This record gives sequence, structure tokens and C-alpha cells, in this order.
Amino acid sequence: MSAVAVEGVWKYYGDYPALRNIQLEAAAGACLALIGRNGAGKTTLLRTVAGFSTAQRGKIKIFGKEPREAEARRQMGFLGHGISVYDELSALENLTLFGKLYGLPDPNKSAHEWLERTGLERVRNGLVREFSRGMRQRLAVARAFLHEPSVLLLDEPFTALDDRAIAVLQRLLREALAAGKTIVMSTHQLREALELATHVALLNRGQLAFNGARTQEMVDDPGYVYARYGEGA
Amino acid sequence: MLNSLFDASVWTSLAAATVAAISSILFLRSRNFLYDSLALAVTEIGLILLAAGIVAGAIAGRLTGHLWWTWDARLTTALVGFLIYAPYLMLRRAVEEPTRRAASAAVVSIFALFDLPIMALAIYWWLARRTAPAPIGVEWTILPVAALGAALAWIRFRKEQDRRSQDAERRTAQEI
Amino acid sequence: MKFLRQVATVAAKDLRAELRTKEAINASLAFALMILLLFSYTFDPEQEMMRQISGGLLWIVFAFAGTLTLNRSFARELPNDCLDALIAAPIPGSALFLGKCCASFVLVLAVELVSLPVFGIFYRVHWTGQFPWLFLILLLGTWALTIIGTIFSALTVNIKLREVMLPMLTYPILMPALMSAMRLTTSLVNGQPIPDDDFAWLKMLIGFDVVFTAVSLALIETVLVG
Repeated sequence: MSAVAVEGVWKYYGDYPALRNIQLEAAAGACLALIGRNGAGKTTLLRTVAGFSTAQRGKIKIFGKEPREAEARRQMGFLGHGISVYDELSALENLTLFGKLYGLPDPNKSAHEWLERTGLERVRNGLVREFSRGMRQRLAVARAFLHEPSVLLLDEPFTALDDRAIAVLQRLLREALAAGKTIVMSTHQLREALELATHVALLNRGQLAFNGARTQEMVDDPGYVYARYGEGA
Repeated sequence: MLNSLFDASVWTSLAAATVAAISSILFLRSRNFLYDSLALAVTEIGLILLAAGIVAGAIAGRLTGHLWWTWDARLTTALVGFLIYAPYLMLRRAVEEPTRRAASAAVVSIFALFDLPIMALAIYWWLARRTAPAPIGVEWTILPVAALGAALAWIRFRKEQDRRSQDAERRTAQEI
Repeated sequence: MKFLRQVATVAAKDLRAELRTKEAINASLAFALMILLLFSYTFDPEQEMMRQISGGLLWIVFAFAGTLTLNRSFARELPNDCLDALIAAPIPGSALFLGKCCASFVLVLAVELVSLPVFGIFYRVHWTGQFPWLFLILLLGTWALTIIGTIFSALTVNIKLREVMLPMLTYPILMPALMSAMRLTTSLVNGQPIPDDDFAWLKMLIGFDVVFTAVSLALIETVLVG
């Protein structure tokens, strides 16, 4: 059973098809880089896989379960455009909150652990609204990884990160992959993403123009996939 | 005559509210936009007929008792019914994304229908002290008013379906 | 048990966030006091009429001031896309909903309990005579306001004109509950027990609470995920 399976998914906004017949799979331990122009449907696809909206046709399976089932939600971590942490709470309070919501056995301990791993232990009692942008991003990453999800869905995670945050995220992603977790990541930062990716999918106007393993050509020339399979190819 | 028109419009809008709620539930179950168009058409026409009925009832009151508003239980219930359903149309205008619009509207429609009987009872209790309430009569005027309502709703429904498919074509054309 | 813990976690989070910023509660309280002040200009507190309108006035104050708090309920999740994280968490939509209801309930009730003595002072009404019953009506009426306000807060969270749509949807639907609460409060706040005739209104208020809590719980998943 694959970690993430998207089977014949069509997603409409009213009558307008934002996703057309998407068929793709990510096995456990794979890292799928989802690339495409703005408006191609990357965010829509990720959010549909995460269960934020429903596809009108087709199925999405996370380890064989529907995305909205509690078990699937427990195994999934999502990092979107927003940091999804509360400005009025401290870093520690935020992580403890999500620890409790995810039913972790010791939310406080997990929170401290992840504050350490993202370098935020010293500011754990600071309110998020006083954090710098990089600190906020690192906290967002901590929140997404906190419950040790088996599937990580990341929407342009490297955009708007400072160098320190990028380094933290890359390290965490490598560790996750080494531990057999699955990553689906949409991105514009081809270089960072292609280094980690095992597979690549190119989305063009809601359709998959390419879906396959990452090749050496892609790593050497990040624009390769666009040139070969994208528009104007 | 005016009073019986008012009664007829009340019954017709009540039927419209029921159809709208059932249609809304069916939409939420099947996600078929046909039910959304139906709910919209029926609610809109129901509101128009209800408004006309309230005006007729008010005029009737003026002609008989020289008062525009008699705080009669039936008339007041009709007015509150109007106020409960009017936000349905406002909400639809406020939500842009079609699926979200249909789902939100469906929820409001269901809430509104549950509220109607409670609200009617409350108004009856409230106003029963002042004026002996006349029951809302069932007369022959129901048939033409209901027929008119059904016909208008059908026309509105077809118009909505046409608009949606035109929208879809336009968007797909813009794509290519 | 787990469900209740989840409800408590959400409620605690909302309360902690609100008590830190105090945005909603300050606005709500200021609004309530202002309405009470404005109305005291129109009415002569000696008159018998004052007794008759007291229930109505109080619940207008509570409903309008309460809406300011209820609007924040889901709106507070919008900055930073926190709503996404809450929906993604493996808690049932009903737990999220009830948690927020409980938090809003406490906040709205707090404003009401501060407004009551102010009302008593401005309008020279001795309101403590039937306090246990009055408190019960406060609880029931506030729960009605909270349930309807919170579900529609969730419904309108992402739309334009949210601040306009929330009251437009809430008040008409809330009418039977408001009417019941107003009638019952009028006697109680003046120290009179509920007249026998009016017990029907109490049943209506309870019925309203039960029905709409059930309907909201049934529809919350649709409202959240669409």
C-alpha cells in the first residue's frame, strides 16, 4: 500500500476544473517534488490530499484511508502558506496545544523536544507575535513535525525562509526521509527540492504533464523538466 | 380577497421553504448542483411571493381597520419568516466560490426551516394576548398562487442552470 | 472522555488567547455599557414602563454586545491560517465547535454579569430578588446566542462582509429564544417570580437550545470543510 495515493482526482471550483484526472502515488520513504507554474494547481492538489477540501471525482488515500479519517489525520503533517500558530500564545504554549490536539502521550515533553530541534528552546516562552520571520517559520516547521507524522505535505516550504530556517528544514526533511517517512512538497525552489526528491511531478493547468523518478539531468539542470515537458516544450 | 391572497402566499412560501430545505439536504448528500439551483430558485420565488403577500395583507388591514400594521399573528409571522430567509440570498451573494456558496446556503436553509415552527409558536403566544388570532385559511386562492409560484420557480431554476453552464463554458474557453 | 478533553483544550486555548489580548471582551463590555447609558437617557427610571421593558432592554444589550465576541470566535483563527491546523488535527469537528462555544459562552456571560449590576444602578432596579432563576435564564439564553452565533461565525469566517452577515443570519433565527428570554427576564429582574403562564416560554427556550445544539452538531463538519 502506498503512503499517498491520488486516484483519478478531479476537483472543480463550481464548474471550473482546477484538477483534472490526477493520478499519482508516493510510496513510503519517497520524496515527491510537485512543480509547476503559479496557478497550475499545486496548492489545490496538496490541500485536497490533506483533506481541506473534497475532490468531486476520484479518491485520495493516505495509507489506504480517507484523508478526513482521524487515523489519517494523525499520520499527516501539513505546512501551508500560513504558519498556523497563534500570535498571542508563546512558542511552548502553541506546541503543547497541538500536542494535546494530536493526542500525544506527553505534549509538554514533545513540545520541548521540537523547540530544541528547531533552535527555539531559548525563546520558548516568548509570544509568537514578537518573533522574527525566520523564528516564526521554524516554529511552523516544529508544529508540522511535532506529532511525528508519516506523511508530510508541504506547500512551498522554502519560500520566505531565512537561511537558518532553510538549513533546519532541510536537516529535518533528510532525517524524516531516512526514517522512512513520505514527503510531498510543492515548490518553486527547484534546487533545494530536487536535491531531496526521489520523484518529480509537473503540474500544468491542473493536469499532470510529467510524473516519474528524479533523474540526474533534473539535478544538474533544475529547469530541465519544464523545458522538456512544460509548455512550449 | 386580499386576505385570502395573503393566506395563499403564506402557504406557498411555506411549501417553498420545505422544498428548499429538502433540496439543500439532497445537495449536501449528493453534491449535485441541480439541487442547489432548485433550492435557490424556490427560495427566491418564495420570498417574492411572501413579500407580495405581506403587502396584500397590510393593505387588507388598512382597508378594513385603517391601520397599516395590526400586529396580527399571521402577518407578523410572515414578516419574520421573510427576515429569516432574506439573509439566504445575501449570503449567496457574499460567497464567491460556487461549491462553498452552495454548501453554506444549504446549511442556512436547514437552520431556517427548523426555526420556522418555533418562531411561529412564539409569535402566536406573544400576540395571542392582544388580538384573537385568525387561523391562516385554506381557500381556492391557494391553487393559482401555488401554480404561479411553481411556474416562476421552474423558470428561475432553468435560468440558474443555464447561467451555470454558460459560466463553465466561459471559464473553459478562457483556459484554452 | 477524550472528546471532553479535546473540547476543554480548544476552550482553554480560546480563553487564554482572549484574556491576553482582551480585544473582544473590551469591545463587548464597552458596547454594552454604552447602550445602557444611551437608553437611560430616554427612559425615566421611576416609571412603571421601565419595569416592563427591562427584560427586552437587557437582552438587546446582551445580544448585540455578545455578537462582537461571537464574531471573533472563528475570526481569530484566520491570521496565520490557524484554522487549517485546527481542521487538520484529528479532533472531531464537533469537539472544535463545542470548545469554541464554551469559550464564547464564558466570555459573553462575563460581560452580562458585569452589565447586570450596572443596569441595576443606572435604572434603579433591584435585580437580586430572584437571582437563581434569573441566572438560569441567563445561562439558557446565552447558550442559545452562543450556539447560533458560533455556528454562523464558522459559516461566515471566510466570506467578505463577515461582520455584516453574522448579525443578519443570527438575529432572525435567534428570535424565539430572545423573545422567551426577554419575557422571562422581565419578571425576574424586577424580583417577581415567573408567572405560571410564562413557564411555556421556559420550555420553548430549553427546546430551542436542544434543537439547535443538535442541528449545529449535525452540520458542523459541512460548515468547516464544505
